[in-house]
Amino acid sequence: MDAERFAALAAAYGGDLRRWPQAEQTAAAILGRGEEAQAVLRGAGTLDAMLDRHHVKAPERALHSSILRAADGHFSRRRRQRFWWFGLGLAGVGLAGAIAGLALVTVVTPDAQSDHHILEANVTAFGDAGPDGDMIEEDL
Amino acid sequence: MSGDPDEELVRRVGAGDPVAVQSLVARKLPRILALAARMLGDATEAEDVAQETFIRIWRNASRWQRGNARFDTWVHRVALNLCYDRLRRRREWVTDDLPDVVDPASLPGAPPLVEEHRVAWALQNIAPRQREAIVLVYYQEMSNMEAAATMQISVDALESLLSRGRRSLQSILTRDGIDE
Repeated sequence: MDAERFAALAAAYGGDLRRWPQAEQTAAAILGRGEEAQAVLRGAGTLDAMLDRHHVKAPERALHSSILRAADGHFSRRRRQRFWWFGLGLAGVGLAGAIAGLALVTVVTPDAQSDHHILEANVTAFGDAGPDGDMIEEDL
Repeated sequence: MSGDPDEELVRRVGAGDPVAVQSLVARKLPRILALAARMLGDATEAEDVAQETFIRIWRNASRWQRGNARFDTWVHRVALNLCYDRLRRRREWVTDDLPDVVDPASLPGAPPLVEEHRVAWALQNIAPRQREAIVLVYYQEMSNMEAAATMQISVDALESLLSRGRRSLQSILTRDGIDE
């Protein structure tokens, strides 16, 4: 590290070497023993002292509580959503099972003959057994 | 970058552990509030930013993955984005140029600012990116690497912003006679 880099670091990070890049702190500490470097650090330290006067209030209890309430609301809503999704998932699985069962029964069980087919069969079987048209005319 | 000290806590928050939620608020709220207060110069707006930042934390905690950034870096980026939204709404120019400075204490009939408020006021009168760099490194005590990662710039660019920001502050504060 040379004097120029030392001055550049002081201008950027101030007069406290603990704020300087870690990789350059050892070299800076060695160079910082010189009189010229000490003057550079003192100059940067003047602004540090000014900045130190700027304090920010600690968070108030009301803000803390409000943030915790918001968190509670968020995680409660998420738990409820998960519960409903779980319920919907279960219902979906149940419905899918019912449909699959119905399909299985439909495939495995043979079709019962409909009344229409039975009627047609009767007609075919006993069609000739009915009264003959000519005989009816003779009876009249 | 080594292990993330917040990683386990964030994982528990993501799982909805109320004790972890309290711990995270206790750990991060003072840092987020201080960051926003110094960026915005307004305590009420800083509180709003802190609340909005935590809402984003709750939403993202369950799927937060470290990747290349620490959780603290991510939180700072979220809070800073919210600050910039507000600064834009105030129609501030987000540039690196030094804006015109009017010392409120120099106005007719105005009481003199106490030193602490004068520093806060001076911070508001440098370019936001310079302010951001100074706040991260000086007040949030981030390393140069963490601050550069948070600002998504190189370390060289960070050092340039820091130097210019400190020069601007020195100029404003010296002109206002704060240095003895």
